[in-house]
Amino acid sequence: MKLRAALVALLAFIGMVDALYLSIKRNTGPIPCHVTHGCTDVLTSKYSSIGPIPLSWFGLAFYVTIFSLAVFKLFEDSKNPASGPLSVIFYLSGAALIVSALLVGIQAFILKAFCEYCLLSAALVLMIFLLSPHPTPRKLPA
Amino acid sequence: MRGMPKAIKPLIIIILAVGVAAGAAVYLSRGSDETATTSDAPTHADIKGGGHFRGPLSGEKPELTLVEFGDYQCPSCGAYHPLVKEILDRYPKQLRLEFHHYPLISIHPNSMAASMAAEAAGEQGHYWEMHDALFEYQMQWASSPNPEAMFIAMASRIGLNQNAFMQALRSPELQQRILKDVERAQEAKIDAVPTFFINGERQHIKLSMDDFVQTVESHLHK
Repeated sequence: MKLRAALVALLAFIGMVDALYLSIKRNTGPIPCHVTHGCTDVLTSKYSSIGPIPLSWFGLAFYVTIFSLAVFKLFEDSKNPASGPLSVIFYLSGAALIVSALLVGIQAFILKAFCEYCLLSAALVLMIFLLSPHPTPRKLPA
Repeated sequence: MRGMPKAIKPLIIIILAVGVAAGAAVYLSRGSDETATTSDAPTHADIKGGGHFRGPLSGEKPELTLVEFGDYQCPSCGAYHPLVKEILDRYPKQLRLEFHHYPLISIHPNSMAASMAAEAAGEQGHYWEMHDALFEYQMQWASSPNPEAMFIAMASRIGLNQNAFMQALRSPELQQRILKDVERAQEAKIDAVPTFFINGERQHIKLSMDDFVQTVESHLHK
């Protein structure tokens, strides 16, 4: 379980760097694409923010939360483990996965341009979701 | 109180990790700028012919010519558009804009039609009115399956002769003019839009008015 938490923390850390990089580049100029084509198109489109708040800020908040939960899981008392943090990660990353799928769909079908940093984020969310254990219902004491 | 030290360790790790992530992001964002300026693209280009001019006419000898290669359907060109207008307003005598078409039709299927609309308006002496309208209403026509109907409505609002405008939209001569600009862009090895040059020197201007002003000022005091 601790290995899973460590991997989730690592993925969330990469996600934090990705989201912070996008938040910085959004305000400082053209965003270079190395693999895909159209990073600036995607990141300056009307879908790249909710009102005045860029989506990358939401991404950053998500990754910091996931990272914190995973780190708390790593430091929990092994004699008295709590299932809380990882099940919260499961539900949070599940919701983020739906949002990521929607954003990849917007890139593919509406903008017809892809941003590699956004695709990386979607892949990270998917991996975090797969690593977080599906919460199992607790048996009631007989 | 006993629980306090246990909670402090993970908190310290979280704060450190956010700090390291921020440092890495800042480092990477600076690094990519350096890559952009030292890429294979030549730092100078001699763009000959074509283009539409805005600002002081050639007879008035502006100190600087800001060449822009743009695509009317590209969201970043739309984002830069108000900055370009403002910089021209700030330096009305020193700076002139020379706009060239570079429609990236593989990813922006309506961009060629939009360039044609601008050229067609230009035939009636209203190129810049259509240029501004295309960027201002970009979101409305960019994803439309029939953008020409919207261009005709825009032409009508500008006060153009509709029949002449519609005829010009099909003009092979105007299309040739745009394709010539595409050739110029390819010769200058332009791989992104918008791409700016000042007096032939390729610029990497950030999406901020401060950076635009700084870039222009640095060329004025050269």
